[in-house]
Amino acid sequence: MSKYEATIGIEVHAEIKSQSKIFSNAQNSYGKMANSSCTVVDLGYPGALPTINQEVIYQGIRACHLLHSTITEKMHFDRKNYFYPDNPKNYQITQNRTPIGRGGYLQIKINNEVKKIELEEMHLEEDTCKSVHKGRMSLLDFNRAGVPLIEIVTKPCMHSKEEAVLYLEKLRETLFYGDISDCKIEEGSMRCEANVSIKEVGAKTLGVKCEIKNIGSIRNVGIAIEKEIQRQIELLENHETIKEQTRRFDDKLEDTVLMRYKETGNDYRYFPEPDIPFVVLTDEMIDHALSSLQLTPDERREIYKSKGIQEINIEKLIANRTLSDYLNTYLDTELDFVIASNLLLGDILSYLHKNFIQLEQTKLTKEKFLDLVLKIKNGDLSNKNVKDILEDVLSTDASVSEIMQQKNIQNIKDSSVVIDIIQKVVTENPESVKDYQEGKDRAVKYLMGQVMKEAKGSINPKLASELLLEFLKNTSN
Amino acid sequence: MEKLSVEEVKHIAHLARIFLTDEEIEKYRVSLAKLFEMIDEIHQIKGYDEEIMICPWQSDSSLREDKVGKMLTEEEVLKNAPCKNGRFIEVPVMLNE
Repeated sequence: MSKYEATIGIEVHAEIKSQSKIFSNAQNSYGKMANSSCTVVDLGYPGALPTINQEVIYQGIRACHLLHSTITEKMHFDRKNYFYPDNPKNYQITQNRTPIGRGGYLQIKINNEVKKIELEEMHLEEDTCKSVHKGRMSLLDFNRAGVPLIEIVTKPCMHSKEEAVLYLEKLRETLFYGDISDCKIEEGSMRCEANVSIKEVGAKTLGVKCEIKNIGSIRNVGIAIEKEIQRQIELLENHETIKEQTRRFDDKLEDTVLMRYKETGNDYRYFPEPDIPFVVLTDEMIDHALSSLQLTPDERREIYKSKGIQEINIEKLIANRTLSDYLNTYLDTELDFVIASNLLLGDILSYLHKNFIQLEQTKLTKEKFLDLVLKIKNGDLSNKNVKDILEDVLSTDASVSEIMQQKNIQNIKDSSVVIDIIQKVVTENPESVKDYQEGKDRAVKYLMGQVMKEAKGSINPKLASELLLEFLKNTSN
Repeated sequence: MEKLSVEEVKHIAHLARIFLTDEEIEKYRVSLAKLFEMIDEIHQIKGYDEEIMICPWQSDSSLREDKVGKMLTEEEVLKNAPCKNGRFIEVPVMLNE
């Protein structure tokens, strides 16, 4: 790759979350019986008039805000004319001349440096119907026709598959946390296309670009880009010309294959949609749209970092929005976020997975969680104790203290009792003590295990470990 | 006026999915060229690109509340379909866009 450099642009179509479709009041749904969510507008019947769903406009405003794009205050929609059975009125209603957002960026972190991925524009449009090809026929389901989409287009500003993958992950996270789209690539609610070209390092003009469609996962976007770069380099090395074309990603081959050569020029004959007058956004509308936005992933990262949570746990929390939202309900409390995040991502998450339930289906109240975390912090509950009582905490109405009483859990906090236990363990394990004195660190871990075993897990491990080390040092002297 | 090339007319016919005889192609080489000439004239109007007029009354859109309304039944959806297969509308396959 030293002789050449790649230029990559990404287009993403994300289905917008709303109750009804963009231009009709049919339900915006996924996975329902075929052709059960449509009206005459979605079927493209002559004379059927589209009306704009205000929520879609609000979602567009939110996307512009989160992606730092300039909002177009007066916009209209355009007809993109083409002939294909997935769109029986023979045009798609989209935004060509006045996209809702212009410019903007998303920041990614690559090789410990922050890079701005610049956006060209974003626009609102309707989805087409879903067609399944069966032999010489196609079966059409119009539930998807008219589902609102936001198309987000970057500038050709990326130069590696890593940048493209990081950008897509960041975009998905941003749209998901903004409640703009659920971004489920496997269900088609987020679709990615990559434009790839290569040129010799230092060359001023970009090479001929090829578009890759049908990429079913972010990982595959990375693979598709890598393969496409290789293919184009091989062509140039063999003194062949790169032809502008559309390729698709084949999951099984893990490679791109030719779909078609690009037809010359723009054949879509865009013109303004006469059935939809101008949309003019007021400051009130913009304020209303933005008022419902929650904390962004980056804002959450900052907060968690300030609370002392380790980076690995921060990322796990961001990846699990339910837990992150839950933890955020304690932002105005004295909760120890480090212990709380360990508990949520550890024992509580395992319990939820084991029982196939969500956190809100448990009996964990705010008071109980605060009490549980405090008791761990104060050493009243050891890790083992937590494991013993967690099921009751999550599945009964009893308080943490009541459950501790029922289970006869009383954590040993009296140092003299702990020292008695240590004394007993040390006496029974002279070999390990000798190992410790010879500098074998593993011996301490073993002795610590024996101490916890002897105390049936009811000692605060931090206290036990401190006392054990002190005891061993004194014995050595 | 310069006539359109045979290839250009064929390309437009292909996009419109209509078949043209050689005689018709010749006819359209002239008539389409006339049409394009007229469009060029329109493009010369001053301010053509400045302010778009979408509809004559120039009002702003009133936006619809995001609520699900009455939808068509399966029977109604399939009623006008030339061909159906179960709950689906069936059409000839068209993979080569």
